[in-house]
Amino acid sequence: MAIYSAGRRRTMIILLLSSVLLITLDLRGNAVFNAARSGFEYALRPFEIAGDVITRPVSRMWHGMTDIDELEQENQRLQEQLDAQRSDQIAAQNALIENRDLRALLDLESLAAFDRVTASIIGSSPSNFDQRVEIDRGSLDGIRVGMPVINSAGLVGKITNVFPETAIVMLATDPQYHVPVKVVAEVRATPTTSVPDTVPSGLAVSDVTTTTSTTTTSTTSTSTTTTTTTTIPRPVDGAGNPIDPNLQGPPGATTSTSSTTTTTAVEMVEVTRETGELNGFGADRLPRVRFIADSPQFGRVAEGDAVLTAGGSLSLAPPDIPVGKVANVIQRAGTAGLELEVELNADLNRLIFLTVILYVPPTEAPALR
Amino acid sequence: MLGALLTSSLTRVIPIGMMLLALQKTLFVELQPFGVIIQIVLAFAAAAGAAGGPERGAITGFALGIMFDLAVGSPLGSTSITMGIAGYVAGWVDLIRIETTWWLAALFVGVGAGIGEACVPVVRRFIGEEDAFVPEMAKIVPVVAIAAAASSVLLVPLARWALKLERPEWKMPADG
Repeated sequence: MAIYSAGRRRTMIILLLSSVLLITLDLRGNAVFNAARSGFEYALRPFEIAGDVITRPVSRMWHGMTDIDELEQENQRLQEQLDAQRSDQIAAQNALIENRDLRALLDLESLAAFDRVTASIIGSSPSNFDQRVEIDRGSLDGIRVGMPVINSAGLVGKITNVFPETAIVMLATDPQYHVPVKVVAEVRATPTTSVPDTVPSGLAVSDVTTTTSTTTTSTTSTSTTTTTTTTIPRPVDGAGNPIDPNLQGPPGATTSTSSTTTTTAVEMVEVTRETGELNGFGADRLPRVRFIADSPQFGRVAEGDAVLTAGGSLSLAPPDIPVGKVANVIQRAGTAGLELEVELNADLNRLIFLTVILYVPPTEAPALR
Repeated sequence: MLGALLTSSLTRVIPIGMMLLALQKTLFVELQPFGVIIQIVLAFAAAAGAAGGPERGAITGFALGIMFDLAVGSPLGSTSITMGIAGYVAGWVDLIRIETTWWLAALFVGVGAGIGEACVPVVRRFIGEEDAFVPEMAKIVPVVAIAAAASSVLLVPLARWALKLERPEWKMPADG
């Protein structure tokens, strides 16, 4: 039998053209195809449930064999992280309350203002080229295409397909995922030492010799313990004669005083913002932020800086959803600017429950009404 | 011929495809040797080609691809191309040898599935997706191909039944 024949070639051309036609119609948006997807979803559901029940022991056995060492190591690492973060949690809660109050005062948009739908994951993408999961909530719960999806750690992805009772979430590691983000960096100004104009005796500081022996500075508040050795000159009149020899000690007398002063907000903290676009690079690689300007006037982006969604009228995500932190800063040649690798807060390999924020960009809101 | 092929085989291919899709979405997303998802539906498309020739393989792959796209949400028709190619390529085994041995069928199923999987980013790039080529391709394609070859021992007879083909006399390596 020949590899090439007219009938075979005709069959292949018909199939290829049919595929191209279907792709074209689907990408342009087609109600019939959407209905077919929903219908097929319903038809496939019993097969999936049966398959899940039957194969669960097999998949558990597989995970039991392959994941045990990794899980033990991860458990130990997480325990250490938990210990380290307990103290940070109290400060973070306080900051959250302050932030919420200030936003309310300024009438700013915040995440708490949007309705949410909590969903659980019922499936993952069977493709090696997609980073997507399926959730058990759909259009009947108010979910629409494009809505951001988060978990308790931060941004997870966005909705790409919606069926009546289920929806597909594109994870932030998917190569097709894009979202505007901002990089927030804390810049600590050099601590300034304020020297009083006079010493407690009323003399000008310039008239005494002061040696500061110990200074301790903390981040949020400053506690200064100062041991001062002061050499005080005898008061003199205009001609240089002593005014009252009994008032002060002998010339060159030395007194030692020790005082502890606790002040707040002595250290200046500024916030630097850079905006760019986060997009995924696959499951095994960190997402990257592109279009970052490497401009020293805005401050250098550094590893460990926080990455949040930028929001904006055209963004599908509201502002200030925690995304992750900068893991690597990649310098690119010429005017290409910086590229940042971002370590996501959310562990996308261990998702169970997700929250869909029912957010619609202001530019699209009128169309839905 | 196309219409006859469609009507004669789809009554069995569609239910089998549904079952394999269910397995693909449940079991095979959990079992990931070397971090790669085994493509059992793609392997079945290739097995259909190895069992029934290039045309039947391409048509079966096309139908399975449509089902896959409907289930996964990828652009309708995109997976049809890759699965159709897998079935077509695996079907060449019918053209180079009259009496197919099991190991030759396995080899062609593996090659067909590997080529089909390698075509996925090509098709995606063609329809406008950015960054369709992932660096793990060098790992994904061989794992998918080897898994498909291994599963062909089950899938080729299944495809033969689904396509209503007569069972050939299998030749074991010892038989020459």
